[in-house]
Amino acid sequence: MSRLSKLPLLAALASACPLPTSAQSAPATGAVPPEQVMQSRWGGTVPVIHSGEWAGPRLPDGQPDVQGHWSNTIANHNNFTDPEAGPPGEPSRKLDLSRDQRSPSRVSDPPDGQIPYLPEARALQQEFERNFANPTQEKYIEPLVRCAPGGVPKSFYWHGYEIRQYPGYVAIFFNAGTRIIRLDNSPRLHPSIKLWNGDSRGRWEGNTLVVEVTNNNGKPLFGRTGDFMSENAIVEERFIFDPDGKRYNYVATFNDPTVYSRPWTATIPARRYTEADSTDGWHYEVVAANRPGQPLLHERPERICVENNGPFGGGAVGVPVSEPIIAR
Amino acid sequence: MILRWRGGALAAAFTLGIAVATSAAAQSANDIPRQANGKPDFSGIWQTLSEADYDLEPHAGRRDAPPGPGVVDGGLLPYRDDARPQKEQNFANRAEDDPRLKCWVLGVPRSVYYPAPFQILQRERDLTLVHQFGHQVRTIHTNGTLHPETIEEPFWLGDSRGTWEGDTLVVDVVGFYDETWLDRAGNYHSSDLHVVERWEFVDPNTISYTATIEDPQVYTQPWTLNVLLNRRRDKDFQLIEDYCFTLPYEQHYPHKDSEQ
Repeated sequence: MSRLSKLPLLAALASACPLPTSAQSAPATGAVPPEQVMQSRWGGTVPVIHSGEWAGPRLPDGQPDVQGHWSNTIANHNNFTDPEAGPPGEPSRKLDLSRDQRSPSRVSDPPDGQIPYLPEARALQQEFERNFANPTQEKYIEPLVRCAPGGVPKSFYWHGYEIRQYPGYVAIFFNAGTRIIRLDNSPRLHPSIKLWNGDSRGRWEGNTLVVEVTNNNGKPLFGRTGDFMSENAIVEERFIFDPDGKRYNYVATFNDPTVYSRPWTATIPARRYTEADSTDGWHYEVVAANRPGQPLLHERPERICVENNGPFGGGAVGVPVSEPIIAR
Repeated sequence: MILRWRGGALAAAFTLGIAVATSAAAQSANDIPRQANGKPDFSGIWQTLSEADYDLEPHAGRRDAPPGPGVVDGGLLPYRDDARPQKEQNFANRAEDDPRLKCWVLGVPRSVYYPAPFQILQRERDLTLVHQFGHQVRTIHTNGTLHPETIEEPFWLGDSRGTWEGDTLVVDVVGFYDETWLDRAGNYHSSDLHVVERWEFVDPNTISYTATIEDPQVYTQPWTLNVLLNRRRDKDFQLIEDYCFTLPYEQHYPHKDSEQ
């Protein structure tokens, strides 16, 4: 049994491997060729899902019922704007193909698929990208491999995740980190408080959950290419759910005049996973509940990371495990 | 006349006392928050006021702990003779060895009485406990499912299965790692730890939390602790994420030189 909580370390080690699937144990797939499995798991296009009325099931408090397990359908965090190209320094086999034969950039606006960085910010991103494969300074180590929360937006293409809903809340349980989105207009935290996941307020507009994320600390990089926002960023997320309940698009607009020359938008398609799907150690990390004589029911086991991520039983990469980190 | 008057007053007071007691009982039974299915609704943000996390046992104030009356039935923990030296060593080295100092998962029951808020999100099928401290998330399943048949690798927060006994949520928790402590004083457990929790409302804003600890490797007999959990009713209160294990390296991001 693969230990879910060790995946960040495994994924870090796997950055030395050419294919993202090497980070996971492949599911039992019968006669399906591995290459085809890889394509269906890692490649793909972005379906069109329009904002509009919600025709699907609702919870007693009126929210569209979108509870359950979800994961992205295109690649992972190796490369933000060329998702199937592989991480910096480790080009995937698909990099030999023409660009239109790989999945599109996550940047859906501007149309060129590039983040509209200001020159200084672009230089910082490229410096990280150049140094990722052989980090010589702390700042070149991907924070995620040190068990930092994935944050916005990387959490949405870093393993699968579960959405649970409650009156007044949508909660999202990621592989690394948790977001509790309040569905009210309660005052936000003071702007001096900066957080890995920011501070979220959301509302439902038909089939779309609209969330404004403030109080970002800018620290969780978008992927191994070093893309980033700063602590001045405000992100508007739109979770546009297909009423069939099987897919949604995460469409997030990033506003940060200190890093970008104009607001830009990322689009990340996701699909639902249910008991009809095989668990696969990446998109769908669940276990069968023990309930003899009843139908299969999957449940999410606990996630840990820093407790066992180091080479000798625990700790974050580059951090001594013997020294106290806090004094409270 | 005076005697009669005084007798009447006594009788009146007695009657009033009965009425108040009846009223209080009625309130605790009927006025607590409930879910649509009639079960008590523990949704909200909770935190203990107790000194349990400093030391479960009775203790005078010391440099690193305020005084506390203790939260354990009978006062002291029933250590086995061969398990007590480890506790004493933990106590001596507590400034370095307490797993909390690395911001690691605190385990059960410690995560409940660590002095920081946690939020309960409740559905019919489960209660989700999101703790502000670190990255701790525990699901208490209340859908009739059982512990796994076998637990190949244990859990830092255990495997929690809850049932309702009237208005009390009874949670059976097994499958632990042995690396968590029970408090800052170095009280500890082994991987044989078995916890039975009882969650019940005292009033709409107070939960009585009881945990019975069974661990034959460490203790001669099961023992029970009790703390009250208070609803955080501060204006607009919300959890503020506290991934404190990132503190040693967060200053390097995004793209910051080490000396900054």
